[in-house]
Amino acid sequence: MTKPEVAGADADDRPAASKEAGSDTGWLRLSPRSLVVRPLTDLARLLPLLAGIFILHSRTGSSLIWGVVASVVAIVTGLVHWVTTRYRITDERVYVRRGLLSTKLLSVARDRIRTVDVTAHLLHRVLGVCRVSIGTGRNDYRSGESFHLDGLTRADAESLRGLLLAGQPVRGGEEPDPAEQRPDQAASAASTASAAAAEQGSEIAALRLSWLRFAPLTLTGLVVLGVLFGSVIQISNATNGNLARSGPVRLIVAEFAALDIVQRILVGAAVAVVGYVLIALIGYIAVYWNFRLAEFGVGTVRVTRGLLSVRATTISLSRLRGVEISEPLLLRAARGARCIAITTGLHVGRGAEHEGSVLLPPAPREVATEVTATLLGVPVELCSGPLTRHGPAALRRRYFRALTSAAVIVAVIGVATWARSGPLWVPIASLALLPVAGFVAVDRYRNLGHRLAGGWLVTRTGSFARRRSIIGTDAIIGWRIHQTWFQRRQGLMTLTATTAAGQQHYSLRDVPVAEGLAVAAQATGDLIRPFQMV
Amino acid sequence: MATDRTAEALLPGLRVPGNRVSRRAISYWTARAVLSGGTIVLAVVIGAAASGFSAAWTAAIAATAVAAAAHALIMPRWRYRVHRWEVTDQALYTRSGWFSVHWRIAPISRIQTIDSHRSFGERLFGLANVTATTASAAGPVRIHGLDRELADTLLDQLAVATGQAPGDAT
Repeated sequence: MTKPEVAGADADDRPAASKEAGSDTGWLRLSPRSLVVRPLTDLARLLPLLAGIFILHSRTGSSLIWGVVASVVAIVTGLVHWVTTRYRITDERVYVRRGLLSTKLLSVARDRIRTVDVTAHLLHRVLGVCRVSIGTGRNDYRSGESFHLDGLTRADAESLRGLLLAGQPVRGGEEPDPAEQRPDQAASAASTASAAAAEQGSEIAALRLSWLRFAPLTLTGLVVLGVLFGSVIQISNATNGNLARSGPVRLIVAEFAALDIVQRILVGAAVAVVGYVLIALIGYIAVYWNFRLAEFGVGTVRVTRGLLSVRATTISLSRLRGVEISEPLLLRAARGARCIAITTGLHVGRGAEHEGSVLLPPAPREVATEVTATLLGVPVELCSGPLTRHGPAALRRRYFRALTSAAVIVAVIGVATWARSGPLWVPIASLALLPVAGFVAVDRYRNLGHRLAGGWLVTRTGSFARRRSIIGTDAIIGWRIHQTWFQRRQGLMTLTATTAAGQQHYSLRDVPVAEGLAVAAQATGDLIRPFQMV
Repeated sequence: MATDRTAEALLPGLRVPGNRVSRRAISYWTARAVLSGGTIVLAVVIGAAASGFSAAWTAAIAATAVAAAAHALIMPRWRYRVHRWEVTDQALYTRSGWFSVHWRIAPISRIQTIDSHRSFGERLFGLANVTATTASAAGPVRIHGLDRELADTLLDQLAVATGQAPGDAT
C-alpha cells in the first residue's frame, strides 16, 4: 500500500493534506532509545524459544549461532523501524510515516482526535520512553493502520499529548492550575518511576486499598491465570522438560494420592480458591496500581494506572458520549461496580481492562455512580436510580425463556440417565434447575429497564453481567427496531439506538411498542417523528 | 396503492415506508428457497439411501420436502409484503424480514458510504441491493430486491443528499 492513507478525513481536506505531507520539513523521529527497546522487546518475546534452543543444543554448540542470528535480526528490524518511522504535526493534521519497502503515510485531522493514550511497559520505563496511541473516530482498524508511535521519550510524549489535546476547542488552551496538584502517594515506589503519576488536575477518583476486596469478584483473575498457565506450558514445551515428572510435582501428586476422597475434594477446593484469590489480587494490582482519574485541563480527563506497565489515557470530555456501569454477578453481590467509557476512538468489549476505555476499576457502587455523574454532568440519581420497567409481558418472556431452557436441560439429563440406567437422584437433583431459572428470570426482569432524562438515554439489561449504559441522545445516529412474531403477539419490540461510540448499539429489550416509540421520538425528535402515525 | 394489503402497519404507531421492492424479488427469493431447501432434502435422501430407506427415513424425507416446499411457497410472498423502503430529505427508512421484522431509520446526514451490490443470483433476476453505512458499526441500512435501474437512481440520489449534509457524521 503505497498511496497515502487518510484516516477519517473529509474529502475537501485531501488536497491540502497531500501538499503538506509532500514537503520534507518538520518531520520528527522517535527517540534513539527506541533502538534499544525494540530489539529487546522482540528478544523477550522469543525468550522461551531461545531458552529451549539453548538447552536442546547445548552440546552441539549451534545454540550460539541461533542466538546471534536472532539478535542480529532483532537489531536490524529495530534500526529499520527507527529510521523509517517519522511523524509530523502541522496546524491541522498529524502525520505518521513508516515502512521500508511499502511506505505508509497515515494522517488524521487534529480536530478528529478523541483520545491520546500513553503506555509504558517495564522495559520502556527503564529506558524512559513510552508508546503514544492516538484514538480517532475510526472503528474499522486494519492491522498496521492504528495510529501509534512506539518509542518517544517521556518529555516528547507529554508535550505531544499536551499539543494534540490543547488543540481541542473545548479545552481553550489553558494550563491546569499547579496548586490543584494532589500530593502523590508517597508510599508507592512505583509512582516515582511512572511518567504519568506525577500529574496535575483535580482528582475525581483514586485507588483505595480497600477496593482490593473486589479483585477476586471479576474474571480478570481468570485471564491472568490463563496467561500464566500458557507461559508455563510454553516454557515447559520449549525446554522439552516435563513438568509432571519433575521432583516437587511428583511429591505433591504422591501426597495427594494418599488422601481419601473427601479430603481430596477439600484440599483441591482450598488450593483452587486460595490460588485464584492470590492470582486475582496480583492481576488487580498489576493492572490498576496507582489508578487515578483526574481532570486534566479544561474539558479533558486522564486515567493513569498500572504497576509494571503504566498506562495513561487522556479522554476529551466533548468526545465522551456516555458511560457504562457494569456489574458482573459476584461484583454486584458485593455492591461493587466498574465504569467503562463510551467514546469514539476507544475499543470496548472483551478484555476491556487491557484497552484504554476503563474509567474505574472494580470499586464500590457508590464510587462508580459518583464518577459517572461527575464525568457526564448528570444527577447521581440517573446513574443509580430506578428505571422504567418493561411490564408483565416482558416478565412473561423472561420466565418463558429461562424455564424452557432449564426444562430442556432437565429433560436431556432425564433421558440420558434413563438410557444409561444411571442413579435416580441425578434427574431428581436436576429439577433444582427450575427454581434457579425462575430466580434468574425475575432478576433479569428487575434489571431490565430504561429511562430518558435531560438528553441522556439510560438502558439496563443482564443478570450475570448487569450493565447500565448512559448515552447522550446527540450520540444516537440511527434506530433499529426488531420484532419477532412472538414479540408482535405480546405487543413488545426491541429498540436499538445505534451510535459510533462504545459498543456501537444500545438496546431496550422487550419494551412495549408505544413506550419504545415514545422514547425514540423524545430522544431524537426530528428523526423518527416523520414516520410516526398519530 | 396506499390501501393495498401490503401496507399493513405491523407496528402500531409507525407508518409503513412508502415503496415496495421489485415484484421480481418474489421469484428471486423463491429460487433461493428452492435451492437451499432442495439441498437439505437431498442431504436427507442421501442419508436415507445410506441406511436403506427405512420407514423412519422415508417419513423424514417426506417431512423435510413438505417443510421446504411450504417455506419456498410462503416465505417469498410474506417477505414481499413486509419489505418496504423510503427515502426522505432527512432519513432513510426501511422495513424488512418476514417472521421477524426489522425497521431501520438512518438520518441522511449520518450516512457515510452508499454502495450497491448485485450477487450472481440477483443479476439473473435483474435485481440489486443498496447499502448505506453510518459511523456506527451496527448501523448499516440495506435495501434488498430493488429493481436494477431504480437502485442506480437511488444510489445517485443518496450520494447527492449525503454530500450536502455538513459535519463529520459521528
